[in-house]
Amino acid sequence: MASITIRGLSKRYAGAGVAAVRRLDLDVAAGEFVTLLGPSGCGKTTTLRLIAGFITPDDGEIRVGGAMVSSGSGCVPPERRGMGMVFQNYAVWPHKTVFENVAFGLQVRKVPRPERARRVAQVLELVGLTGLEGRYPGQLSGGQQQRVALARSLVVEPQILLLDEPLSNLDAKLRERMRWELKALQRRTGITFVYVTHDQSEAMALSDRIAVMHEGTLEQYDTPREVYARPATRTVADFMGLVNFLPGRVRERRGDAGVVLVGGAHPLELPLPPPVRAGQEVQLAVRPENVRIAGRAGVAPDAIPATVAELAYLGNLNDYQVALADGTRLRVQSHPRERFEPGEAVGLTVDTASVSVFV
Amino acid sequence: MDRTLEMAAPPPVGWRARLRPEHVVMGAAMAALVVLVLLPLLSLVWGSVRGDDGFTLDFFRRAFTNRLYYQSLRNSLVLGVWTAVVSVLVGLPMAWAVSRSNVPAKGFIRFTAYISYLTPPFLTAIAFVNLGSPNAGILNTFIRQVLGLPELTFNIFSMWGLVLVTVLHTFPYVYLLASSALESVDASLEESARMLGAGTFRTALTITAPLVAPSVLAGALLAFVNAIALFGSQAILGLPGRIYTLPTRIYSLFDYPPQYGLASALSLIFVAVTVLALWLQRSYLSKRSYVTVAGKGVRPQLVQLGASRWAVFAFCAAVFVVAIVLPYSTLLAVSVSKSWGLAFWQNLTLEHYRWVLVDYDPTRRAILNSLGLAAAAATIVVLIGAVISWIDLRTATPGRRLLDYLSLVPLGLPGVVMAVALIQFWLKAAPALYGTLAIILLAYAGRFVPLGVRAASASLRQIDQSLEEGARISGASWMRTMRSVTLPLMRSGLFAGWLLVFVPAIQELSASILLFTSSTMTLAVAVYNLYENGYLEPVAALAVVNMFIIGAAMWLAQRIGRRAGGAAPQSRGVTQ
Repeated sequence: MASITIRGLSKRYAGAGVAAVRRLDLDVAAGEFVTLLGPSGCGKTTTLRLIAGFITPDDGEIRVGGAMVSSGSGCVPPERRGMGMVFQNYAVWPHKTVFENVAFGLQVRKVPRPERARRVAQVLELVGLTGLEGRYPGQLSGGQQQRVALARSLVVEPQILLLDEPLSNLDAKLRERMRWELKALQRRTGITFVYVTHDQSEAMALSDRIAVMHEGTLEQYDTPREVYARPATRTVADFMGLVNFLPGRVRERRGDAGVVLVGGAHPLELPLPPPVRAGQEVQLAVRPENVRIAGRAGVAPDAIPATVAELAYLGNLNDYQVALADGTRLRVQSHPRERFEPGEAVGLTVDTASVSVFV
Repeated sequence: MDRTLEMAAPPPVGWRARLRPEHVVMGAAMAALVVLVLLPLLSLVWGSVRGDDGFTLDFFRRAFTNRLYYQSLRNSLVLGVWTAVVSVLVGLPMAWAVSRSNVPAKGFIRFTAYISYLTPPFLTAIAFVNLGSPNAGILNTFIRQVLGLPELTFNIFSMWGLVLVTVLHTFPYVYLLASSALESVDASLEESARMLGAGTFRTALTITAPLVAPSVLAGALLAFVNAIALFGSQAILGLPGRIYTLPTRIYSLFDYPPQYGLASALSLIFVAVTVLALWLQRSYLSKRSYVTVAGKGVRPQLVQLGASRWAVFAFCAAVFVVAIVLPYSTLLAVSVSKSWGLAFWQNLTLEHYRWVLVDYDPTRRAILNSLGLAAAAATIVVLIGAVISWIDLRTATPGRRLLDYLSLVPLGLPGVVMAVALIQFWLKAAPALYGTLAIILLAYAGRFVPLGVRAASASLRQIDQSLEEGARISGASWMRTMRSVTLPLMRSGLFAGWLLVFVPAIQELSASILLFTSSTMTLAVAVYNLYENGYLEPVAALAVVNMFIIGAAMWLAQRIGRRAGGAAPQSRGVTQ
């Protein structure tokens, strides 16, 4: 299996003002499942296509298993990279049957006919398409076409599989199921997966590591748990799930921690990142599930006083908008059994260990 | 998964290592475009300003001051303008009837426009000579002898005769553009006006007309451009009455001694007129965008005509009679008569067909030449089109837009001009192509390359890039990808493009007339020469053969189009 090493990779499209990818460094270990995550236009697809060799970088280099495949001065063509790719729209050839689609890569590699048939049958079984060999793509459902695309790229036993939003055209139920299957497939084959998506829950569910990208640069590269719980930047915090940005002012700093005043004058004791000094204005990233909402009676002495402004019942949880003393709005989610009506006075307890502080 | 694939090689360095088969193919297509279009055009410009002792504007001065030449420019403009006006008068009512009214037999009206468009005007002209020459034309004879009204005798060898025959070929441009515009005006736009209190007439005047006007103007300009470019009809109907136009005047400049400089200057003036009209046409057409914004699901409102729908239908039927029934039945009748003018039913014969197809060597060879030339030109053009459109749509090659524009340049070059340019270039160039079939092939390929590029790029646009990328990443080289994925997926579009070139090429006259020799005669040239020499009946037989070939090609196109389920792209802007 092959690792990928990217150093200083830059790409600017002709006529575009900003670079699609700017001085990107990224290491993908052999057999790892890495997701490039970010909103549209963040450079994730460009990065994937640079790895595939469809586009030539302006600067920087890409190595696969130590061998240089792309640099500003030259590029190994895609067909000689030994990679596989699954496209967003599947890109299953409409004029070829399922068998012909899957067998194409073997045919190009001059694999003898009997072995070709054996390996196609094997991979079709792996993706659950046995029996559909003679069908044309037009006769298949979206999910089946997706499996053909997967089988087509797996049959040549690539060292690296690139996936460009492969699930985004499927309906929600099928998407979840394919998610589990992809994960299992990666574990079973041990192939290095580089996966592109803008769906953070997909990235969390699948990846060993997530590379969060924004405007062509890498914002954070870490495990899903770290990226979610310890976002490196405000942008990452904002992109990964729901988050409240609570304005505050640092009252004092003691070593790694300090006291921040929020919602007017309420003090919160928090761990603080190094550059933050006393007297500074900061933003606290607070996830809705990390705030406990309690009624008057059960209020803890250090709880932040607040009033319920809106309530939405979502079945598995209650979604609140609460207002702090200075009018700051906060989104809070809690178990549906506890229920507070709009206008009710409540107390909020923040899990301070899970709060990230940004300048 | 222990099998290791061929490991990626280090990236190649230097241009030599980067030269791959695809670069050779793309380079060849670009070179072909340069040879077909750019070099002849440049040598045309060069030839128009190069006198015996260096640079001169004398040819242009003479073109604008000598009556012989400016008169031909004037005649061309008069012909173009009247043809455009009459094309609107004929095409617009038909378009409105089909798109917006409950006129009966709409399929028949569409068919009329379609066949009129396909009929080569030089054949219509020959047919109308048989009908309307002042002394022997059967219509004139009928008017004089049966009706006894000699003052109604008309002369087909006149500007009006020329306009009449030309319109029969050009009104479909107005018809096509107008009907597509009328069909894309959403009924809700008109219904809103009605709701605000405007009557039917007022709505038509204030809402529908402004929305459709740009398309009608664009169609009229297209009719203008095509009308002035037609050599055959202008020679057949104009020359007997000494009405010279640009194509016929340029043609006459090649009589001994040939005046290349003057021909080049006149050709460039011709190009200027054509390009100006096409530029206007494009800018009108681009204004149309606000009509088509509505996109799909547009449902035009049909006007319910009462008894007057039969009057509208009668108008369309009259067009059918004049544009199709009269010329076709005349040609057919002449072709089976021993000698035209004898009692018809007593003198039926198929002798002329035998003569042109078997006995007479020049016509037999001309048919074979044209079949071969048209097939070769169509194949070349489609291949160039596929590669050029691939470069334009799939690569970031610098200057690829320029390449695309270059491939459209021949739209502004009338056939005669293309021939003059090729003569200018190849007369002095190393391989002695002048007088060979090769130079005619170059003319056809050059003239019709826009059709090939358009058809190819329309069909390539339908193919998602990822289908090709999937093949590349599966290990297929560029050539392999083209062969196994791109070309098979483009096949029906390319075949439509092939026929789109084959049909006009089989009856090309305007360029061939300047380039042929006795051994490289083409079908249309043979028809023209036989006509010139007064062989009326064999000409008619050859004309029928010509139409038969076109009919067979179109029938094939329809069949394949239906099987592929896709409509062939419309050809616009290039004719005989």
